[in-house]
Amino acid sequence: MTTAEPPTPAESPTPAKSPTPADPRAPAERPAHSDPAEAGISWLRPSPLLLRARRIQVGLVTVPAAIIVAAAGLAASPTASVGAAAAVLVAGLLSERFLARRVAAWGYAERDDDLMVRRGVLVRRQSVIPYGRMQFIDVTAGPVERSLGLATLRMHTAAAASDARIPGLDKAVAAVLRDQLAALGEAQAAGL
Amino acid sequence: MTAQLPDELPRQPMTGIADASWHRLHPLSPLVRAGRGLMSLLILLLGIAVLHRRQAGSDLYTDLAIIALALAGGFVSWLVTRWQVADGVLRVDTGLLRRDSRRFPLSQVQAIDIVQTGLARVLGLAELQLRVAGGDAARGGRLACLRLADAERLRRQLLAMAALAAVPAVPEAQSAGTGNQAISQAQAAVGSERPLFRVKPSRLPVAIVASRAGATALIVAVGTVLTAWLSGNASAIAPFLPVVLGVVLALWRQLNGEYGTTVSAAHDGIRLRSGLIQTAAETIRPGRIQAVRLVQPLVWRALGWCRLEVDVAGMRQRREGQAEGQRLRALIPVGTRAEAEQMLNELLGDRPLPVRRAPQAARWKAPLSFHFLGWSGDDRYVVASRGRLCRQTTWVPLEKVQSIRWVQGPVQRMFDLASVHLDVAGKRVTASIEERDSAEAVQILGRLPDLARAARRASRS
Repeated sequence: MTTAEPPTPAESPTPAKSPTPADPRAPAERPAHSDPAEAGISWLRPSPLLLRARRIQVGLVTVPAAIIVAAAGLAASPTASVGAAAAVLVAGLLSERFLARRVAAWGYAERDDDLMVRRGVLVRRQSVIPYGRMQFIDVTAGPVERSLGLATLRMHTAAAASDARIPGLDKAVAAVLRDQLAALGEAQAAGL
Repeated sequence: MTAQLPDELPRQPMTGIADASWHRLHPLSPLVRAGRGLMSLLILLLGIAVLHRRQAGSDLYTDLAIIALALAGGFVSWLVTRWQVADGVLRVDTGLLRRDSRRFPLSQVQAIDIVQTGLARVLGLAELQLRVAGGDAARGGRLACLRLADAERLRRQLLAMAALAAVPAVPEAQSAGTGNQAISQAQAAVGSERPLFRVKPSRLPVAIVASRAGATALIVAVGTVLTAWLSGNASAIAPFLPVVLGVVLALWRQLNGEYGTTVSAAHDGIRLRSGLIQTAAETIRPGRIQAVRLVQPLVWRALGWCRLEVDVAGMRQRREGQAEGQRLRALIPVGTRAEAEQMLNELLGDRPLPVRRAPQAARWKAPLSFHFLGWSGDDRYVVASRGRLCRQTTWVPLEKVQSIRWVQGPVQRMFDLASVHLDVAGKRVTASIEERDSAEAVQILGRLPDLARAARRASRS
């Protein structure tokens, strides 16, 4: 780390929806609590909408869960069941803090010969996948992601343990990245 | 479809397999393929018939009809299955209603095995299995069954063609001539195999008993006996019986699979033969080894024994032994250190040893495995060792590395440590450089991709 920039929350610089297929991704500075400090890596970020997608996903789980908890115990002890439901909701709200940090931890960098992906707050991970090793690339989008115009890019190598996915990419970005990675992979393909 | 097939094809000697003609499998193959299930079914039926001699009647007939139907199905499947070798591609067509045509480019073949089940051995048949990368057994090619001699000859020819297909430098014009030449050369050289290792038949059972599987068996046995004794009632062990059976089966499977392992070096790779009742012969082509692992369990270390396993891309497919998927292939099921060293020299040549020990801080993070943690690397291999009671040392050729992962958990962060994992193809092997100083881990992550790229370039040229 050369510059001590303050941690950039996911909301900052990335331009949200630029439809130009050229290169709609803006490089974002790494947060100061960085991973293996390799000077000169400019990390790219998932779309800031990813945080919203994650919030919706948490909401979709906690609200029905709270309702079920409340309904299940209502007959026996109304106070306890309402309390439990409230606890579930509070837990959902508390996870908000972690969500923001986790979303902010995602980053990827296209280097000359490989793609780097980093993620995780509690357990931090950083993967290096040489372009030549990519077997195929998936772009998937769940219902929540789709409603926000996001997609998840996943790269597969011959190793099952390889772990490289980038969630919450703008759909256009994901498509561009997919094509770009596929082209690079083809150019550098290496046998097993 | 079948009208195109000349009748005499199955009998024809397969000297010119590359002539694009279609071949059939051996007519007895449905019997062998159905073998195990059929046998148990028959035994069950006989048991039922003996027990209920009276009311056997209609039940028996329906069951017999089911067996007959299964056999007829097998026969039809045999009838519609054909294979062909043309242009360096093995093609297997099968299926009556739903045609299924598979092509296996020989240049992609990782290894070719010959497997004989017990029944197949009695009938002199063998199954030819092609392993391709990508792990999934369903993607591998399988010719079940051929006559053993045919299978061996076919394997030799396919391997020769595969070796040829893997060399793209030969100009098209010459390739036909050199092709035949190379094949004939390859066939000529087949006799010359250099033995590398043979497992001691007396040592293997001892070793299996002294390994983790043996320890499990011991615990289960003691538990069972104790239960029977404490409850004073022999029938109290009934619930344990499936577990006991499972443990015994696992031990048996290992013995059956690894008994009589012989390894020899041939021109087309490393030959590996093993098996007590079901035998398997496989050839690992040079440059297809993804990882080599030296395993030293606790008791074995005291005896100076070790186990040497290799990982070859492409899952080994056996009808029994699903455990095979998680296991690596043992070149040395049990051997002395000297034998292992010799084999390592053969496989890897000059290689690094895991001499870089973990930093002192790792003693607190991983007190049980600290004594085995270590790694090292040069421009061709990375070696990492780990383990608590059982020491595992894994060598990975840098050109085989699929991805590199840096991981730091919360406890590691507390001690300023991090781990780096090197993944190779398949589900089983990862060389883990664990509990390094985080500065060192960063350095490893920074340098390994470049080294791996250089190694890939070097191996390609």
